[in-house]
Amino acid sequence: MAQQTPVRPLGAAGAMIDEDWEALRFRVHRSAYRDPEVFRTEVDRIWNHTWLYLGHETEIPKAGDFKTRTLGGRPLIFCRDADGQVRAFFNACTHRGTVLCRHSEGNTKFFQCFYHAWAFSNAGELAALPGDDAYPDDPAFRASMALRQVARLQIHEGFVFVAFDPDVPDLLTHLGPAAHYMSLTAKIGEHGMTTLPGVQLYSVKGNWKLAVENAMDGYHFAPTHNTFVGYLRETGFAVTDDDQYAYDLGGGHGLLVLTGHNGRIGMVWEPRFGDEEKTRTVTKRRELEARLGPELAAEVADASRILFVFPNLLLFDLEALTIRQLEPVAADRTDVRAWQFVEVGEPESVRALRIKTMVSFVGPGGLATPDDIEAYEAVQRGITATADSVDPAHDWSDMSRGMANEKQGNQGRSIDEGAMRSFWRRWAEVVGASTSVAGDPPAGTPAAGPASGGAGK
Amino acid sequence: MESREVTRAEVEDFLYREAQLLDEWRLDEWLTLIEPGGRLEVPTTDWAGWDATTAGYFVADDYELIQARVKRLKSRKAHAENPHSRTHRMISNVLLLEAGAETVWISANFLIHRYRDGGAYTYVGRYEHVLKVDPDGLRFRLRRAVPVMESMDPGARLSFIL
Repeated sequence: MAQQTPVRPLGAAGAMIDEDWEALRFRVHRSAYRDPEVFRTEVDRIWNHTWLYLGHETEIPKAGDFKTRTLGGRPLIFCRDADGQVRAFFNACTHRGTVLCRHSEGNTKFFQCFYHAWAFSNAGELAALPGDDAYPDDPAFRASMALRQVARLQIHEGFVFVAFDPDVPDLLTHLGPAAHYMSLTAKIGEHGMTTLPGVQLYSVKGNWKLAVENAMDGYHFAPTHNTFVGYLRETGFAVTDDDQYAYDLGGGHGLLVLTGHNGRIGMVWEPRFGDEEKTRTVTKRRELEARLGPELAAEVADASRILFVFPNLLLFDLEALTIRQLEPVAADRTDVRAWQFVEVGEPESVRALRIKTMVSFVGPGGLATPDDIEAYEAVQRGITATADSVDPAHDWSDMSRGMANEKQGNQGRSIDEGAMRSFWRRWAEVVGASTSVAGDPPAGTPAAGPASGGAGK
Repeated sequence: MESREVTRAEVEDFLYREAQLLDEWRLDEWLTLIEPGGRLEVPTTDWAGWDATTAGYFVADDYELIQARVKRLKSRKAHAENPHSRTHRMISNVLLLEAGAETVWISANFLIHRYRDGGAYTYVGRYEHVLKVDPDGLRFRLRRAVPVMESMDPGARLSFIL
């Protein structure tokens, strides 16, 4: 990428991020959530030039299966071609740009544009050109009119990523240590993992980065989810925030490892799962140990994890599993898509328990996520108070919790704000926002994830 | 046990009365309309008839969770509904689909307007309920609200009872 001019300096002394290791202060200028110009810069420098999570292979299991989906504002076709290869195309006819496929999902050999009836195979070749006698009689012409593929597509553990920039590094380089945590989740099922139909599609009146912060923020859990914690207490389970840590995985990716925060279906029992599940948890652990060995089985099973893969994937490996994708629409609007992610071949009673348990927490109809959405939306409204020149000294959001601990070289806790700080540092680097750093940052930034085999212990 | 005959007028009265309780946030009274063991469901907008044991849902509450939901919504710590949304429900197109041994399966259209924090939201869909026929009234065995929107609009969460 060529050297880019920084985004318009809006904060005090021109900085968007103000980090001070003497005063133990880390704050983000609120224009970062508000300013349409910042938003346009993000789309250009992040969404157009970074690996993005598109979807999971299991959403399109059979040859010809497709989904249409907008990513970074671009309409795409996510499909499996006749030979079984996963592909991503721009969902626009190469003739005049008409949206080629207007269905949200289906199975087809050909995508035919309704406008002039051009048709493309599910591998992208131009397959029908009505009235082709008036076009050059030349295979090169047809080849030039093939459906436009997204520049890069790579898959890790069934998670399909695309990039619009051909020059991004390989996916595994981009993922770094985050790849390992995706692999841990992928190992839960003896026969693999799959997404389910029944996708939660909703939209929030808040900036996409508020959704990232919220997921990397253990500090909000007790106050924001007071009623959910109360519900769990009544089922016989006491939530704790102890022994829970946040990890900077580099590249803007973050990880919370939560031990004892909640039960994990098939892995850590809690009373609301019922007696049948208690027995199954013992059997399932034996299966995991036999398949993965005791150390890896413990790493997979013992602790819950919330993984953020920069910039648009959240993998919640909690009571059950949810894949959440963030699609920024405007500075103050984010579309959210969420899939339940389950073990292939599990008994129907377990599947039912998993769905019930997961959606009792997550999604716009859960007993917890609506309060998170309330938080994003209340922040988005609240930060207009100090906007522009009215109160520049206070037009900042504070994320300094736990800096003293971090400075002493201790592993950051999930209830500190270290995972947010590492996200914002990466964000500033990618968008070219200026950062003011005072004092000496701690020498060794926390290691990339917990030591293997002892997740968060 | 042979079920007594249920008329559309009785079902309409039941649904209108329920709508009133929900619009007035009289949730304890609303809870008495659910049969113990009853279920509360809201499928997602891509729903193609899957039940809540095979697909993701917005809401898949068993009776215990319905009670937890009501308790939560009555708390001032249910931040998403403190203050409560203003809701206004219209119910129409009521149909009696099929009578079972002790139940009747009904459908109806709903149009719910919700107002909060300067935002106005419209929820459009249909109910597909299984009602338990009691000697003196009706109760929900399955209360299912199926949204017909393509997705939940910005701000249109389901923090209230749809």
